[in-house]
Amino acid sequence: MSLEQFKNRNVGQQQYRMLDLGKTPETGWGRFKQVLGRSLKVELLIGLGVTFGVMIRTLFRGETHTIRYPFEKIPISRRYRAIHEMKRLLESGHYRCIGCGLCEKICISNCITMDTRYDENQRKEVSEYSINFGRCIFCGYCAEVCPELAIVHGDRYETASEQRASFSLFEDMLTPIDKLKSQQEYPGFGAVSPNADENIKKTPLAY
Amino acid sequence: MIHEVTWIGAAVKALIALLLVSAVAGFGTYIERKVLAWMQRRPGPAHVGPFGLLQLAADGIKLFTKEDFIPQFSNRLIFSIAPVITAGTAFIALAAVPLFPDFTFPSWIPLLGGVFVPSIASDVNIGILFILAAMAAGLYGPLLAGMSQQNKWGIIGAARTAVQFLSYEVVTGLSLLAPIMLVSSLSLVDFNNYQAGGIGSWMLWQQPLAFILFLIAGFAETNRTPFDLLEHEAEIVSGFVTEYSGLRWGLFFVGEYANMITIGVLASVVFCGGYSDLWLIPGWLMMGLKVSFFFFLMLWVRASWPHIRPDQLMWLSWKVLMPLAVVNVVITGIVMMAMA
Amino acid sequence: MSSITITIDGQACQAKEGEFILNIARANGIFIPAICYLTRCSPTLACRICLVEADGKRVYSCNAKAKDGMNIVTKNEEILEERRAIMEVYDVNHPLQCGVCDQSGECELQNYTLELGVDSQSFAIPDTKREATTWSSVLHYDPGLCIVCERCVTVCKDMVGDAALSTGPRGGEKLSKELKEIVPKDAYAMWNKLQKSVIVPSNGTGETNCSDCGECIAVCPVGALVSRDFQYTSNAWDLTRIPAVSAHSSDGFQIYYEVKPTSIADRTPKIYRVTNEWHYTSLDGAARFAYDFENGSAQKDPVAFAKAVEALKKAETIRFNATITNEEALMLQTLKEKLGLKLYNPEVGAYQKFLASYAKTSGNSLYSGDTDKIMKESDFVIAVGTHLRNEAPGSRHAFNNVQKMNKGAGLYFHPVGDALVPTFGKSVSQFAYSPGLEEAALYLILDLFADKEKLPKEVAAYLEDFHSTETKTVQEKVMVDVVETVVDEETGESKEVTKKVPQMVEKEIEVVRNGLVELLGKKSDTFAAEFEKMLKKKERFSLMVGEDLYYHEKAENLAKLVALIEKACDFDLVIIPPKSNALGVALICALDDQASGYTVGYNENGDFRLSALGDGDLDMPALNQQEGTLTTLGKRIVPTNAALPYHGYELNDLVRELVGAPAETIDWTAKLPKKRGYKAVAFDALTNAYSNDGVDHRGYLLDTESREEKLPEVETPAVYSALEGEIAVRLNPGRQFSDFTDKAHQIFEPFALYTSPEKAAELGARVEVVFKNRVLKLDVIADDKMEGDIVCVPDFKSREDIYGLFGDRRYQTVTLRKG
Repeated sequence: MSLEQFKNRNVGQQQYRMLDLGKTPETGWGRFKQVLGRSLKVELLIGLGVTFGVMIRTLFRGETHTIRYPFEKIPISRRYRAIHEMKRLLESGHYRCIGCGLCEKICISNCITMDTRYDENQRKEVSEYSINFGRCIFCGYCAEVCPELAIVHGDRYETASEQRASFSLFEDMLTPIDKLKSQQEYPGFGAVSPNADENIKKTPLAY
Repeated sequence: MIHEVTWIGAAVKALIALLLVSAVAGFGTYIERKVLAWMQRRPGPAHVGPFGLLQLAADGIKLFTKEDFIPQFSNRLIFSIAPVITAGTAFIALAAVPLFPDFTFPSWIPLLGGVFVPSIASDVNIGILFILAAMAAGLYGPLLAGMSQQNKWGIIGAARTAVQFLSYEVVTGLSLLAPIMLVSSLSLVDFNNYQAGGIGSWMLWQQPLAFILFLIAGFAETNRTPFDLLEHEAEIVSGFVTEYSGLRWGLFFVGEYANMITIGVLASVVFCGGYSDLWLIPGWLMMGLKVSFFFFLMLWVRASWPHIRPDQLMWLSWKVLMPLAVVNVVITGIVMMAMA
Repeated sequence: MSSITITIDGQACQAKEGEFILNIARANGIFIPAICYLTRCSPTLACRICLVEADGKRVYSCNAKAKDGMNIVTKNEEILEERRAIMEVYDVNHPLQCGVCDQSGECELQNYTLELGVDSQSFAIPDTKREATTWSSVLHYDPGLCIVCERCVTVCKDMVGDAALSTGPRGGEKLSKELKEIVPKDAYAMWNKLQKSVIVPSNGTGETNCSDCGECIAVCPVGALVSRDFQYTSNAWDLTRIPAVSAHSSDGFQIYYEVKPTSIADRTPKIYRVTNEWHYTSLDGAARFAYDFENGSAQKDPVAFAKAVEALKKAETIRFNATITNEEALMLQTLKEKLGLKLYNPEVGAYQKFLASYAKTSGNSLYSGDTDKIMKESDFVIAVGTHLRNEAPGSRHAFNNVQKMNKGAGLYFHPVGDALVPTFGKSVSQFAYSPGLEEAALYLILDLFADKEKLPKEVAAYLEDFHSTETKTVQEKVMVDVVETVVDEETGESKEVTKKVPQMVEKEIEVVRNGLVELLGKKSDTFAAEFEKMLKKKERFSLMVGEDLYYHEKAENLAKLVALIEKACDFDLVIIPPKSNALGVALICALDDQASGYTVGYNENGDFRLSALGDGDLDMPALNQQEGTLTTLGKRIVPTNAALPYHGYELNDLVRELVGAPAETIDWTAKLPKKRGYKAVAFDALTNAYSNDGVDHRGYLLDTESREEKLPEVETPAVYSALEGEIAVRLNPGRQFSDFTDKAHQIFEPFALYTSPEKAAELGARVEVVFKNRVLKLDVIADDKMEGDIVCVPDFKSREDIYGLFGDRRYQTVTLRKG
């Protein structure tokens, strides 16, 4: 369905298929005939047959929809928005966050805080970073606004813990340096679109 | 061979019935959950014990240890009594129900040696009437529970109880009247004996309409889908059990399952040949199989069919089932007169 | 200056003749983009983005003067095209570090780039490597971010007076010829200049060696200039701006405390920086950097409170200083009235007396001028007895601004010579007289500026006595015609050539000697010539007098002389309040001369100490923790707000306990004494803003009244006695005013003996300063802008009781011993 059709709210012109339900009987005798007719057609028994069939298949062919969760897990979408992750630069292993504070600013539940300072290399250093997960609503704005693709949502949805603080500091979210090689890019909010290059005006450079 | 029924035998029978039905009621919950699950492509309880069998025990522990909660403005006395009425009447009804064939304890067993245990704890000569009466009295359980708890959902549940149970009492009674006319007895033992001639002699074939009417009414009497309007959670939260929890709620549950078994037994004995042996299958097993089938049928229906509306329920009872039952009785009478 | 009407974008605007078009537009709410222009400074013409069309001709609105009937178009397609090209050029090679840049979105480069819709770049040039540096203990400069708008240079020169910055070579590549063809004219001119320059300290070293006021940080439109302490610690949008008043100098500068939680772990608010409305007010170093003087750990301590109540009950004197609000001053006055306490304030006492003598003789309840008025109107400004650089930043800005903006002239009288003051302008003359000759200085002013006819006869006669005529033989250059015979080498012909040859001729001339000038240490003949030049085309005169005159043996006579000068010469007069809220205290409290008996000190020494410094017997809120009003040098009552939380007791609680008081400190605001010029305006009704045309709408002005009085009678001293020997002056280093500035972590000036480099070399590293009653051991610090032999003893540490050493004098003869 195209967007145009989707936006057309004029019900009458849309291609609905009407079910033939017959006429609703108006007299008592008519209704009695309807009951009798339906009873004799054993429609109800067909329903019983369906469920029985399902049971047989479940029991003997193992066709169930259930995922026995703690023992088996389905892969979740890479765009799922669970507990945040802080990415590192693949080349140097340095964390990507530049401390610009945009995530802090855009956060609608006001749960991100950061401390920054002037470091020895004349750069802005993030000395501490924290997300209050008691307030975070996992909207993904922080990931979307991040200019460096540094803060993203990860796939850690099992967040039961004795303390929320277990997830909320910079080092908790940062990719461990030894797992740098397995760090994956996040394709969700804020990721670079596949055709990003086409949408950028080139700036002349003299070197 | 006629044995004398001693009080010890009756007591043993009552005890066995009580324990058995309670156990089966508990086990029934497990079966219900499993069957519903399978019919919905789920595995059902699977983690507590092998195949989730100990789920039953876990639920039991939960029910027993839950806080006994009585709402502040409820009538405490009636609120407390109501579940007992439900469970009590359900078991009283079982007193006149033959659960399995007679047997005598072997003589080497101390104390009980040689004691005769009858198929029925008390083979009163008005068995069916007694069962119907006891089950009808069970109406007071949900009614009082709903009215005592000072909760609007409870009140609606209670009102529905009165309407539904009273209406379907009529259908149950009338549908059983025709088989009674044929057997000319109210004792279930006589029913059993009447059909002792194999499958061909089952009442089912003589009274198919009565059988269907009885089953429908039985669903309504036991408050099962599609007639579980008393506690229809989509409409009235939990109806008359809204404020109940823990063991009191458990008693309602046990009562409901006992009633399901009673209906199953009645349907087996009155219409399906009772506890007579069939071919090589012993009578007690036949009985077990038949009751299990009717129990399963109730779960099956629950998994397959939707609820109906209260007005449809009343319409069905008074305008369809009751007239059909009356017609059935009249036709049975005419046929009997013609045969005589 | 007559009123004219010009039309800007179809809107008729009233203006003064000769005003800049840009200022007229701003005053009328019409937007013209401008990067390099600062309202109260001279146009730099670096950015060229303010170009407009005046009567069909392109002009730069920042330096084009309005003429009656002018019709201005602020934007049309060509102007926008030119402006867009300028912004595009600014964006060439500008680092895309907006994410970490401290300007964090308050960036004019960003704003104008977006405003003008620059969405692509068509120019390029190789970048030049430029390293970030630190210029002083507070300044950090990143030339990579700098767009060389020269606002920092301009404000430092035209407003602050340090002229510590200038443009220096960038080492960038020259613009190619192709660029000249494709880049529009103004953008090319701007780029040509930009590509050649960066900002460097003007003294040729890597250090600015300035007064560290940080005004250059405030005016920087991008993130190139940032204070070292603030660098990369916070985004601008995270900071809550709390409008307040600078607590240190008496100028009552408008400031914003910018507040944010300290860190993730510590959520208590902390002041991260101080900003100001830099178009309309300029701060000194103390106002900008001495902000963290709060009494942070204070809690309500009922035991200490009870002791404080007891102490006040038995006290005979309350000793306090100028760093309090008007409300607190009124509370202390109430305590005095109800409990019969004495109020002793060494910082304000002499000032109050001076003001009283002045008011009595002049008939004016308060001096007539203020620094803002001087900046706007004066073209000749005289400062007497105030060390402009160190103790009166607002007056110093005014003195300097008059030289730069009004083509003004200035006379500076102070015993401690200052190398900076003469650099304010070409027509500034400095008198580094010996202490004790203050009367002579004032008489010289009378002599130079007063209409002798108007003066009382004895004064006129007294002045005449100093004049003497003498004949003097001077060498004069005379051009004499000399006829020479020149032989042409080739032809052998000889020719007579007449040449003019200078010849020294002795000549006798009559010279008028002025004894006062000589007394004050200048040669009267050279000064006369100098003064004649200074006086050319001058219309409006002003006089600023300072602390030297209040702490003087003859303070009363000096006050009379000041009143006489104001009347006789028609000067705008400012009697500079020594510190913080000195004017407010002087107006509200009836101060006593001496402390006696049991003394309660409020931020001062005493037997029981109430203190906002955190070291007293009962904690009090500091000025950044409380609401209240201050009375500024400009005679304005301005509200200040609490930037940081305070959990302890306030003075109001003590007053309530003792004599009863309203619920809140600010409930006192409307009760300030009406007969001293205050108005019954509630604190919450006080406004706190500048309007676009720079008019100050902060609080309200004191009501002043003036009666007609005949010219005051003044004492004419027959003999002047200058102090001799080693002289010490009570004078603070630049950014120090009180214990509060000393507490701030960005104020580095220590408590030491400050003097000129020569004297410092003579004294060695450490000296003992021997006063009559005490000996101070101090480190010696050379202030390379000081001149002369006078040594300066700071008074900002109340524990040292420097006022006790100097008493009612500002200068003392001391003995200096190597320590």
